[in-house]
Amino acid sequence: MINWTDEQRTLRAAAADLGAAVGKDHLERDPTGEFSRTGWTLVRESGLLGMPFGTEYGGLGADLLTTMYVLEGLGESCRDGGFPFSVTTHVVSTGIPLQRFGSAELKQRYLPGVCAGSAIGAHAISEPDAGSDMMAMRTTAVLDGDHYVLNGSKSFVSNGPIADTFMVYARTGTPGAPDAITTFLVERDSPGLHVGSPMSKMGLRTSPLSELFLDGVRVPATNAVGRPGAGFLVLDHVMKWEILLSFVVNLGEMEHRLRECVRHARSRKQFGQPIGSFQAVSTKLVDMRIGVETSRKWLYDTAEKLVARKNVTTDIAITKLVVSEANLASALAAVQVFGGYGYMTEYGVEKDVRNAVAGTIYSGTTEIQRQRIAAMMGLG
Amino acid sequence: MSRIDEITRHVVAEFAPDIRADELDADYDLLANGVVDSLGLLRLIGWLGERFDLPVEDFDLAPEQFRSVRAIDAFVESALVKGPA
Ligand SMILES: Cc1cc2nc3c(=O)[nH]c(=O)nc-3n(C[C@H](O)[C@H](O)[C@H](O)COP(=O)(O)OP(=O)(O)OC[C@H]3O[C@@H](n4cnc5c(N)ncnc54)[C@H](O)[C@@H]3O)c2cc1C
Repeated sequence: MINWTDEQRTLRAAAADLGAAVGKDHLERDPTGEFSRTGWTLVRESGLLGMPFGTEYGGLGADLLTTMYVLEGLGESCRDGGFPFSVTTHVVSTGIPLQRFGSAELKQRYLPGVCAGSAIGAHAISEPDAGSDMMAMRTTAVLDGDHYVLNGSKSFVSNGPIADTFMVYARTGTPGAPDAITTFLVERDSPGLHVGSPMSKMGLRTSPLSELFLDGVRVPATNAVGRPGAGFLVLDHVMKWEILLSFVVNLGEMEHRLRECVRHARSRKQFGQPIGSFQAVSTKLVDMRIGVETSRKWLYDTAEKLVARKNVTTDIAITKLVVSEANLASALAAVQVFGGYGYMTEYGVEKDVRNAVAGTIYSGTTEIQRQRIAAMMGLG
Repeated sequence: MSRIDEITRHVVAEFAPDIRADELDADYDLLANGVVDSLGLLRLIGWLGERFDLPVEDFDLAPEQFRSVRAIDAFVESALVKGPA
């Protein structure tokens, strides 16, 4: 068990206050899919967007575990699930690859905007014909003098409608080869770059998402993040952080949901007894608790292993699978525990189910995580 | 056993079990010829990190460094001598 310091607890409490403020009007904004601009102003002022980045860029220089602990607090208090998703997408899509793979010049130019939240970030990997099989992507980047020319389209870009910069993954080599992809930082106002309209979706509605079209977009070769051909390894690094930061938010959400369910199960009476006294109900709450504890262990143990520079390829896949499935199971159980009230939109419980389904798809589906674990075991 | 032999044996055992270690040329392009695919690359990097105690998370990695047994050996050599670039 990690013993958090007073300073870490203070940071988490501040994030929790922020989350509570942003989530206040979540029920009104969910049907229209409205991103909280007020929330973004608050999160910019809080310094949270720069947590894991160097102070020389305006960040807080916090370590991975502290960043996770604070984001867990945001998830616990923020009832607008889409907002933390946009926050973590911004941090991991742009700041994380820049920090590890960006040139000194790129870091100088773009990391301050990431930390301050003045330039919202997004990443564009998935394509209409290349989702789980990202190596099959068709978007190309062709060297022309000191620029690359990008052509293609991207299908699901979280933060797309509000983003200022995009990390675009494009093919620079033989299709399918591990050295075929390169990562480019592309500015929104680049000629030939078109952002699609916000797409309506099942959950995480307040985190806007769109398509992205690249029609002869010229990007300076110096905007490549990582070496040419290193895009797959850049994305692997990004995914480790994405899974830890974005799913630790889900851990916070599960903790809050469990508390609410226990409270309800102790106070709601049927057949003259609190419903929690029926074993069929208490078992659900116990399973929710097991989901929380298992998720916490996998998230923080994997983070500690990563910080210790150990190989976490299998651990990260297990973590993603365990937490996303536990979150979905917990959200479904909560609807059942709240009964008809759980099913009604105004109680905000059903929304969690819609949000949680997304977690089993983005950052690599549940099936793909199983396939990765099998591959790491030498099974194809 | 030399390091290059050890790497060759590992690559053959994990990625090309149908051939013998002495049949794999140290300069054979493992990536272009599909011996090591993208997930295989992660597996290989994981093994190198553990076997040679390298903090691979700190390196400016590129697939190029793992293109052939000789390239892998050069990467390990440089990593052990110079540390993360
Ligand atoms: C809310 C949300 C946000 C997203 N944000 C982004 C973003 O910011 N940037 C971005 O680039 N993408 C984003 N995505 C896209 C996401 O990464 C893809 O949807 C995901 O990788 C799956 O790809 P696909 O949708 O094409 O499904 P497919 O790959 O077509 O998969 C369809 C089904 O087949 C299964 N399947 C596929 N291959 C295998 C296999 N080998 N073995 C077993 N089962 C398999 C899958 O598990 C799935 O159940 C987002 C998606 C969602 C839902």
